[in-house]
Amino acid sequence: MPTFKLDGKEIPFEPGESIIKAAWRQGIEVPHYCWHPGLSAPANCRMCLVEIKPGPNQRAMMLDVVEWDPKLGDYRPRQKPKLLPACQMPAVDGQEVLSDTSPHVLEARSHVQEFLLLNHPVDCPICDQAGECKLQDYWLEHQGTQKRMRDEPIHKPKAVSFGATIVYDAERCVMCTRCIRFMDEVAGDPVLDMRERGNLNEIFVAPGRQLEGRYTFMVEHVCPVGALTTKDFRFKARVWFLRSAKSVCQGCATGCNAFLDYDPRFGKVYRYRPRDNEAVNKFWMCDDGMLSYRAAHIGRVTEARADGKKKGVQSALEAAAATLKDVPGKSVAIVMSAAHSQEDNWAMRELARMLGTTAIYVTGAGAGYEDDILIDKDKNSNTAGVIELVPDVKSFTQLVSDIRSGGVTHVIALGGVTPRTDPEDATALGMLGALVTIAAHTGQLSEAATVLLPATSWAEASGTFVNKTGLRQLAEKAIEPQGASLPAWELASLLATALGLEPSFKRLKDVRSRLVGAAVPSTRDVNESAST
Amino acid sequence: MARAFPKKPPATLNATPVQYTEKTATVQAYIPEIIKGLGVSMRHFFANTRDMVRGTRPDPVTERYADGVSTISYPEQKRPYPQRFRGLHRLTTREDGSPRCVACLCCSTACPAQCIFIEAGEYPEGDKRHGYERYPVKFVIDELRCIFCGYCVEACPCDAIRMDTGLHPVPYDSRDQFIYKKDILLGLTARDGSHETANPRHEPGDPTHPGIDRERGAH
Repeated sequence: MPTFKLDGKEIPFEPGESIIKAAWRQGIEVPHYCWHPGLSAPANCRMCLVEIKPGPNQRAMMLDVVEWDPKLGDYRPRQKPKLLPACQMPAVDGQEVLSDTSPHVLEARSHVQEFLLLNHPVDCPICDQAGECKLQDYWLEHQGTQKRMRDEPIHKPKAVSFGATIVYDAERCVMCTRCIRFMDEVAGDPVLDMRERGNLNEIFVAPGRQLEGRYTFMVEHVCPVGALTTKDFRFKARVWFLRSAKSVCQGCATGCNAFLDYDPRFGKVYRYRPRDNEAVNKFWMCDDGMLSYRAAHIGRVTEARADGKKKGVQSALEAAAATLKDVPGKSVAIVMSAAHSQEDNWAMRELARMLGTTAIYVTGAGAGYEDDILIDKDKNSNTAGVIELVPDVKSFTQLVSDIRSGGVTHVIALGGVTPRTDPEDATALGMLGALVTIAAHTGQLSEAATVLLPATSWAEASGTFVNKTGLRQLAEKAIEPQGASLPAWELASLLATALGLEPSFKRLKDVRSRLVGAAVPSTRDVNESAST
Repeated sequence: MARAFPKKPPATLNATPVQYTEKTATVQAYIPEIIKGLGVSMRHFFANTRDMVRGTRPDPVTERYADGVSTISYPEQKRPYPQRFRGLHRLTTREDGSPRCVACLCCSTACPAQCIFIEAGEYPEGDKRHGYERYPVKFVIDELRCIFCGYCVEACPCDAIRMDTGLHPVPYDSRDQFIYKKDILLGLTARDGSHETANPRHEPGDPTHPGIDRERGAH
């Protein structure tokens, strides 16, 4: 692989790759606003200027400039090399590039930074980007001086609504055009553009249109400053109070990598941020996925219930054991959930093995919208995982017809959500002798349950999810379990004990150690793909 | 027995020995000394009584080390606090009476005692600051936890929180009375009785705002 030298360090690159991208792959950041690894390079922010040394038998391109000499009290002529944007210059084998080590580059960065902040309102206290803003970071890193302009800055439109999800503040905008390019290149809907010039430059939505579609939140996420903010997160929290858990989106079978941002003081989840993963979602997430963080708090099952009354988990387990006491293990049906983690489903399969039953069904949310960017038709995060565990698993429709025909009378189910909300299904579930449901979220199965056990959601316990391509991904725990909820695998273990069985798994370690070896061709390890 | 080590020379004294007065017969006799001591007490007693009657007691602040009684009868009399005394917090207001606070949480971030709780919200529809600024829906200071360091005042970018009330925390008989909510904090004033501050605050749309915008600009 050809290499070039950046500040004396050898950087390998693919032919045709830009300097900034090759450095980014090596984990070296050349400061930038407009460049984004997933978008084209317009080279309009001028922050990534670098000095490229001339090759052999070449002369450096020098510019005649004047420089203020405080001793002389006058300007004096000087020469400086022509700096070039690293985002647009393709790397050349053997080339020598100076970034942090060139005084010309450091000076240029400081001046570009001062220029970008010239008309900035510096309203960081009311800006939601404060704390994760590139203007703040780079001011500290590359400028550190006050601006010299004494005029009143130009004022531009503030709090312009771009649509149902996004608010735009033109004063904070640095005109990097990332949002424009995202809508054009990734979302395929070139609805944003730029108007006016110079000081009055601003982003606008095409006349007669709104910023809409399924990828509007990404516009906020690619914005390096506080110009674009989402109406959902606006004014909700200050980002320096939030902690991030490396999570996996539960919205569909794609399994986009995301950071789940939560406030540990209140145990509250505030938002998703896409996490780069070249193998799954690259840098992007869809709107529905970004908003699916709400499931951490909405529709959660937090209390055990038995016979329509609130119970403690222990007494609910006893009630469950009582209802299933006279039933032979073989005639109990097990329902797995495509919306629960691999650990939880493995525990259910283990429960089925201990009971000696072969009637294993699967539920989960029904199919929905799909596109060819990210969104998958299957709205469950772990369908592939359930099929890996039990290849011949039966569908929910099958379960309903089996209940109707009397083949199934007692059910232990994981997950409350069902693929459809048919009142006929509820009637069928009502015919059951006993329905013990272990669920994180409410649904038909949790409502019809004779005994309901509260399970933790993906935000409250770490779990493995297998996406549609068979990639096993780990979602880290963010907040503490809500209410009385326990991990579903643990509830399965406790339920087995209450039924007089001897479960072989008591700790997460037991489940994990047998999960990979027992269920999966171990070619792919947990979180095999490194985050980029 | 032979010494294993030579004897250490005595350390040179770095202090002056205290000279005790000689215990003469009058000192040993005890009674005359008692009378002398009582004499000193009585001299001060009559001098202070004279000062009190004439009303010429030294000022408790400026002459606190002068001769005479400089104690005060708190709480009937109060010692004046210095100008920069950090007292109870107050929330300052704008000209229209709304709080200057924009709920940026800089104060609660800076607070080492973690005694400030703020819940941010958006101005209602129709307000000129709607969509542009935030305001504190809840602003609570736990004055029991507060260590009166003044970091919140320094951190505030809007001059919205001040400790210039000149009041020290009042003793209460239950803990929840020390939890100062937004209305209490907004109700407290500076020593001159003002709810505002001397620092002006320009807002977009104000006639005082020197800026130009798209509508009024010449370009």
